[in-house]
Amino acid sequence: MNRWRTLRFDFSAMASPCSLQMDGCDESVMRRAAAEAIAEVQRIEHKFSRYRTDSIISRINQSAGREAVAVDEETGDLLNFALQLWTLSDGLFDITSGVLRHAWDFKRAQFPAPDQLQSLLAKVGWQQVTWDGEQVRLAQAGMELDFGGFGKEYATDRAAAVLHQHGLKHALVNLGGDLHALGPRGLPELNGATWNIEISPPRPTADGPAAPLALLPLGRGGLATSGDYERFFMHEGQRYCHVLNPATGWPVSHWQSVSVLAANTSTAGALTTIAMLKGADAPAWLDAQGVRYLAVQHDGQVLHNAASF
Amino acid sequence: MNKSPSSFALPASGVLLASLVLPGLAALATFAPLTASAETAPEQTTVSVKYGNYQDSQANWDRVKVNAAQVYVQAPIAGEWSIEASGVSDNVSGATPYAHTQKSGASSGGKTGMSDERHAGDVKITRYLPRAAVSASLAYSTEHDYTSTAVGLDARWSTDDNNRTWTVGYGTSHDTIDNTYSGGSISGKHKNTQEFMGGVTQVLTPTDIAQFNLTRSIGSGYYNDPYKLYENRPDQRNAWIGLVRWNHYVGAFDASIRTSYRHYSDSFGVSSHTAGVEWVQPTGRWTFTPGVRYYSQSAANFYFDPVLNAQGQYDLSGTVQHFITLRGNTSADQRLAAFGALTLSMKASYAFTPSLVADVKYERYRQSAALHLGGAGSPGLDAFNANFMQVGLTYRF
Repeated sequence: MNRWRTLRFDFSAMASPCSLQMDGCDESVMRRAAAEAIAEVQRIEHKFSRYRTDSIISRINQSAGREAVAVDEETGDLLNFALQLWTLSDGLFDITSGVLRHAWDFKRAQFPAPDQLQSLLAKVGWQQVTWDGEQVRLAQAGMELDFGGFGKEYATDRAAAVLHQHGLKHALVNLGGDLHALGPRGLPELNGATWNIEISPPRPTADGPAAPLALLPLGRGGLATSGDYERFFMHEGQRYCHVLNPATGWPVSHWQSVSVLAANTSTAGALTTIAMLKGADAPAWLDAQGVRYLAVQHDGQVLHNAASF
Repeated sequence: MNKSPSSFALPASGVLLASLVLPGLAALATFAPLTASAETAPEQTTVSVKYGNYQDSQANWDRVKVNAAQVYVQAPIAGEWSIEASGVSDNVSGATPYAHTQKSGASSGGKTGMSDERHAGDVKITRYLPRAAVSASLAYSTEHDYTSTAVGLDARWSTDDNNRTWTVGYGTSHDTIDNTYSGGSISGKHKNTQEFMGGVTQVLTPTDIAQFNLTRSIGSGYYNDPYKLYENRPDQRNAWIGLVRWNHYVGAFDASIRTSYRHYSDSFGVSSHTAGVEWVQPTGRWTFTPGVRYYSQSAANFYFDPVLNAQGQYDLSGTVQHFITLRGNTSADQRLAAFGALTLSMKASYAFTPSLVADVKYERYRQSAALHLGGAGSPGLDAFNANFMQVGLTYRF
């Protein structure tokens, strides 16, 4: 029963391809851990979806401009995280900015009408959220909270936490490109090797799969990538992507993609998003956060910080 | 494998500390100090953790009070980003979800991030062995008029010299068709399919690689297209599918030739051949890839030709009258008719620099009854032509 083996579980969640990979000796424990980790991802997806009218997010949003909504402890923790990110990013990371998507139609490649953008911008801003640690209230009707900015990363960490809870020490969680490594490879013949993570280039090539932009040997920690390639349209050679600045309502344009390596995926994901929003100031800011990054600038130039801290 | 060892102990910074309020994360980020012996990890992946007033983190799973001044968390064990490296990766971060996001966007009105689209049943498990891998998958999907459950098993293993790889696979699926929801009259119809696949990929010489796959598919149940007229197909469909590929490097021209042939034959009476060849010719900064692909299929036994009038045009009432005289299985689905198709393609690419490549691809596709192998195909089919042109510019960093 103590032969080492590798198992990989592929599944879909949060509209993304996901996988759990693990090295271990007790297959039944590995399977149970994987099933619970997948269930945990689905629980989070279900709980915080803004597409479900009965989710906590929908209840908060439906009460906007009216009464405060009492939230459970986990939701409160996420709101605290959101508040701290807003503070640390000087207001750039703002979970109320989701309403701006109503102004940008990436499918039709249309610019927003100025007055529409103005009226939506009036509904953006964490300063309009009253959060006392137990109840949350949005000041105006039409305001919305959206946990999409860190939900997938949080679920990645939670899945890793479930595997860890089951005693797994050599596992890699991947939810649609957000990764958490619980420890290096465990197979004895691999001698503690790391997982090899491929960073995809932000621009696809005409010939299908492009050569990896970089390979990262990852033994432990969280890795996340944000980019301007998920939803966008082109106009006169300029790319307009779905990462919107909450102050202006306009897409960011300095970075094609930013990958960040941090102690956990929630941190890495928040940092990539803030870095996209910070524009040219991002490298210095990421350095100050003590994380490693790999960023592709608008002109294709690749920047990354050195390993020595 | 790139192993650039590094070990760090980092003071926790703002965003990382902020994340530690999230349930469970503190335990992950700061669990007990690791030593090389505890982890049986070699020295290059050893992590040293400086760890202050933080005893809660291991035991207390859900709630952790963070004392910023005293917390040190271990940094990830990671080597350097190796730019333009080539190697086998375990996983991907970045643009990969792109295609998927696009796909789900197209079908769900632009949703990304957290959404309700769940495929709760889809899980594939792969077990890796020293020279082999075995996968098992379970998939469940449902659309408004279709529910499908599929189970698959596949295995692949390689010889010691890596010159030969064997593949075997088995899959079974169970579908339920019900279109009453969308206004149809079909409900409670089922279809079951089993598929067996075996294949081998063999390196023949340093300049030749060949692949052979054989698939047997056995199906029974409801095969009609619920949205088409004249449909009364057999309730059994069994097929053989053979695929051969051969790639050869032609040293004299510094070129490669890629060839493939696929044969398909089923109990509906449909039999098809697909043959393709491509020549990949680099010359200086240019690479030219001309290609040709030919396809021909015979009609299903129960496919009936439409009735045409004296002018050769489709005669609806004549076709209906003909149809009601038919006994047994019938279908007028053009995909079950006899026809052929030819695709000619040419791709030219030009490398301005090794990292900047422009390419133009042109394809011309023609499908018609006259292209059917060995004489005229089904009458009354409109020929179909398509031109495909693609211009690309590729920049690799």
